[in-house]
Amino acid sequence: MKFLTTNFLKCSVKACDGSNDNFPLQYDGEKCTLQQNNDIEFNAEFLTNILDRVDWDAILTVAADLGNNSLPREKPVLGTNGDLTEDDLAVLRDLHTLLICTSIVEGQMQCKNCGHIYYIKNGIPNLLLPPHLA
Amino acid sequence: MLPTPYVKCDYETVYEPSEDSFLLLDCLEHEQEYLASRFRDGLSVVCELGPGSGIVTTFMMQNGIPARGSSMYFAVDISPWALEATDDTVRRNKCHGTYLDAVQCDLASCLKPREVDLLVFNPPYVPAEHVPEIPNAADDHSTWLDLALLGGENGMVITEKLLLQLETVLSKKGVAYILFCARNRPEEVANRMKATYSWDVELIIHRKAGWEVLSVYRFSRKTANHS
Repeated sequence: MKFLTTNFLKCSVKACDGSNDNFPLQYDGEKCTLQQNNDIEFNAEFLTNILDRVDWDAILTVAADLGNNSLPREKPVLGTNGDLTEDDLAVLRDLHTLLICTSIVEGQMQCKNCGHIYYIKNGIPNLLLPPHLA
Repeated sequence: MLPTPYVKCDYETVYEPSEDSFLLLDCLEHEQEYLASRFRDGLSVVCELGPGSGIVTTFMMQNGIPARGSSMYFAVDISPWALEATDDTVRRNKCHGTYLDAVQCDLASCLKPREVDLLVFNPPYVPAEHVPEIPNAADDHSTWLDLALLGGENGMVITEKLLLQLETVLSKKGVAYILFCARNRPEEVANRMKATYSWDVELIIHRKAGWEVLSVYRFSRKTANHS
């Protein structure tokens, strides 16, 4: 699963929906295997749209879980007059590398509210619950 | 007419594309312009629940539905076989240059609320005594296939679960396309959703398939202001 997908996954347990700790899930940096993949070409407009939409705090948290503490504290603001500067493009390229090219192929993550552990195998996160929690 | 993806899967484990799948493709083709204008700005998050072979998700990726270059796709299925098949179909049709992630989950319960812009669902709609339980073993092939088909009472048990989640799952301008068969009594469902939950519900396409009549309805928030 691509890094950006972590920005869309919460704990499946219904009882956790009332909590603020069910998102983002807490990724186990020790157990997660990352892979870089260049299937998707860089597209500045796509990245601009993604940047607009993402929950930046959750990106920071998951990046830190996975050992990356190099991101700016605040969501980057791109040139306001519509044209992207060289600096903007550099920011977007870095985000492309992190959010889209970086995948978690094996690993696990945990809900910070209920502690349930979910696994990622072959790049596919499994958010199914055992019968007693479903 | 838009091209149909090439699909080659193991139909012992995943649902073979059939009349219902093709009706959904025709529906999305019919809705292409509407969706392109509704989602012309910003990022579009697309989620197909129960993709099976992956034919519908691949079709959307291939044809840039709703918006080429600014859509990301999630294929969410309870069956590990369906997720594998979807990934395979996407690659077979050379769509792997577009953002897709496969997620194993029961309906949309793991998705962060109010993020999905376009949701597509071809549910297990065949009336049956009960909905099968999720098998413990991946190699319990026939049960995984039954899960893709059998919808319990009136064939509506799974669809009703999703309808209850719709309010939470869809973004402000989100829209959902859900397939029904006549025995699901879709008109009653549509009226109830309009009355009880203030949704806009519209019949987009319907077709006779053998002795069955299939239809796709579009659900969106009445209050949504997407101008």
